[in-house]
Amino acid sequence: MEVVAVILGGVLINNFIFMRYLGLCPFIGVSRQLETALGMSGAVIFVMTFASTVTAAFEQFILVPLGLEYLRTIAYILVIAAFVQLVEIFMKKTAPGLYRALGIYLPLITTNCAVLGVAMLNVRNSYGILMSTLNGLAGALGWSLAIIIFAGIRERWKLMDIPPVLEGFPLALVSTGLMSLAFLGFSGLFRNLVK
Amino acid sequence: MEEKLVISSSPHIKGPKTVRGIMLDVIIALIPACLASLILFGWKALLIIMASVASAVASEALYEKAVKREVTVGDLSAVITGILLAMTLPPNVPLWIPVIGSAFAIVIAKQIFGGLGCNFVNPALAGRAFLLAAWPMHMTRDWLNPLTYDAVTSATPLAVLKGTGQGTLPGIKDFLLGVRLGSLGETSVLALLLGGIYLIARGVIDYRIPLGFLGTLFVGTLVFGKPGAFFQGDGVLAILAGGAILGAFFMATDYVTSPVTARGRLYMGIGAGFITLLIRLWGGYPEGVTYGILLMNLVTPLIDRFVVPRYYGYAHDRAAKEAAAGGR
Amino acid sequence: MKRSLFHDFIKGFVEENPTFRLVIGMCPTLAVTTSVVNGFWMGVAVIFVLTFSNVFVSLLRKSIPDDIRIPVFVILIATPVVIVELVMRAYLPAMYEILGIFVPLIVVNCIIIGRAEAFAYHQPVLNSLMDGLGIGAGYTINLMVIGGIREFLGTGQITIGSVSFPGTPLFEPAAVMLTPPGGFITLGLLMAALNIAVARSENRKKARRAA
Repeated sequence: MEVVAVILGGVLINNFIFMRYLGLCPFIGVSRQLETALGMSGAVIFVMTFASTVTAAFEQFILVPLGLEYLRTIAYILVIAAFVQLVEIFMKKTAPGLYRALGIYLPLITTNCAVLGVAMLNVRNSYGILMSTLNGLAGALGWSLAIIIFAGIRERWKLMDIPPVLEGFPLALVSTGLMSLAFLGFSGLFRNLVK
Repeated sequence: MEEKLVISSSPHIKGPKTVRGIMLDVIIALIPACLASLILFGWKALLIIMASVASAVASEALYEKAVKREVTVGDLSAVITGILLAMTLPPNVPLWIPVIGSAFAIVIAKQIFGGLGCNFVNPALAGRAFLLAAWPMHMTRDWLNPLTYDAVTSATPLAVLKGTGQGTLPGIKDFLLGVRLGSLGETSVLALLLGGIYLIARGVIDYRIPLGFLGTLFVGTLVFGKPGAFFQGDGVLAILAGGAILGAFFMATDYVTSPVTARGRLYMGIGAGFITLLIRLWGGYPEGVTYGILLMNLVTPLIDRFVVPRYYGYAHDRAAKEAAAGGR
Repeated sequence: MKRSLFHDFIKGFVEENPTFRLVIGMCPTLAVTTSVVNGFWMGVAVIFVLTFSNVFVSLLRKSIPDDIRIPVFVILIATPVVIVELVMRAYLPAMYEILGIFVPLIVVNCIIIGRAEAFAYHQPVLNSLMDGLGIGAGYTINLMVIGGIREFLGTGQITIGSVSFPGTPLFEPAAVMLTPPGGFITLGLLMAALNIAVARSENRKKARRAA
């Protein structure tokens, strides 16, 4: 039951974009086309899920035993950067097809605040390694859902006559606002299950 | 090449005359529900409808003047947005509520994106969702007793069904006539159905969207409506008690924000019905129609992209392409 | 050629305004701007981190090898972030709770690594100091303005400490302004308004040149 609650919470109710404001830069930056949005989603799902695992393990086996929790920020950002580097090298060697599809998105992810954000949220909720991984996956799925929907909407804008003062960020932000207005409908869903 | 073919989106209506004609049909279809609201809730209903329409038309004209575009209030779409928003409001809200709601609907949800045909959410529903998030107390408590016009803050039938409010449920006859607490235009089922059937008969809307919507809501409530027991829920009440009929016939069928293909429209109806069910049974609000339709508006471009009609000669075409690719 | 220190400070307010001209660091811009006071403290935290990292990047710019400069930047940014976290938790625990994960997330705020890469890595220490203070102050003003708009419309008044203005709200506050939709739409409309103002002034300049 808790598994369902975490997934629903991350994807619909506390969606990373629409409710938590995490990962906005790439959300607006790479949502012009569905193809790139899908590629970015794949990379984010992979990295966010396993970065959650790695940081939770780091917390449990290194930071807590040594009493170094106050260095968490510095430790996490280094662990995440190293993890992304490793994934890149590993992927290039073992799965060149996947690397070609997702590779260009990987460097962008280190600066995606959603990855560090989910790691911080995991600590705040005192999730263990398994729950952290799940929470990372749920957050990433929610982020992907948001960017895929948005890319679908944005592709239509190419055909429209939009005044230059609104083009780009202003219109993207207003639309994100309208989308998050619709996602408000999920607030309070399964209140007794989802935090 | 394929992409370009798929993206060409609704409306496939050419020329302002036809747009105006269709909009006129929708307005005619809304007249029974408007009259019913006047009988049920009195002059307050008239004032709210007038304020809402006036604000919608004025916002459209002012915005288009300000950005030096052709003023398009003549296509009547702003009038419809105004009426539809008024229909979703509790009858005792202060008049600035419809004024702000319509202005938001027209400017933020529609005109900023380039006007009619460029918006991706239904303007009236975006306006209602905005009002609900901004002034929840007005939007959930400003009810009027039908026919007696007393202001009351007791629970609507849906809230009673959900168990979040105290009150008695009216009988089926009162539901059909609309003699119950509720928003202006959602209560009178018969008047709404009259308009809906007119629109289907005139070929203005596709029956698939209301069918998918109401069908999903009926079956879903029947199966899951009663906690702890399957197939014990009251599906008929689920359709009568909230805004499902208003939403299914008049909001979800909006050309601009619903899919182009027949199959896509069925999916749209089913999806909106499913989300409505989810919110009604397990969500934080008593009613989910607004959000069900808005959320399906968001995925409409994706539905249009992935649910494409099969056309004659497709298999042949693909075989030919593969042969050509192999030959190279 | 010596750059003007004053110019390096003042450019953060309009010319290179991080939110409206460079459009970076958006997540916290939306997340913490539900009131003027929240915006102010977030801004102060960013000013400290940005100035600290700019100064140290500039000091070490000749000894940081080009290939590993990004990891070095990250450490030079994370250090002041940890300091801010500890100080805030000790002296402003309530504010630390409100700002939540967005305090540690300053570490991935593009403004800071962006200034390190684009400015401090190539400029003398004093200029980098002024750049950090200026861009940070510009950012703080943005956060306070957006926070002010949202707080005023969302609660009907602006509250600083125990003083509220106006004492009783003049209209029924729109709670939506404090929620995510309100934040997104406010920022979007503000950017549009600024774009319009910029386009107008450029048109006027053009007209003057033509005349």
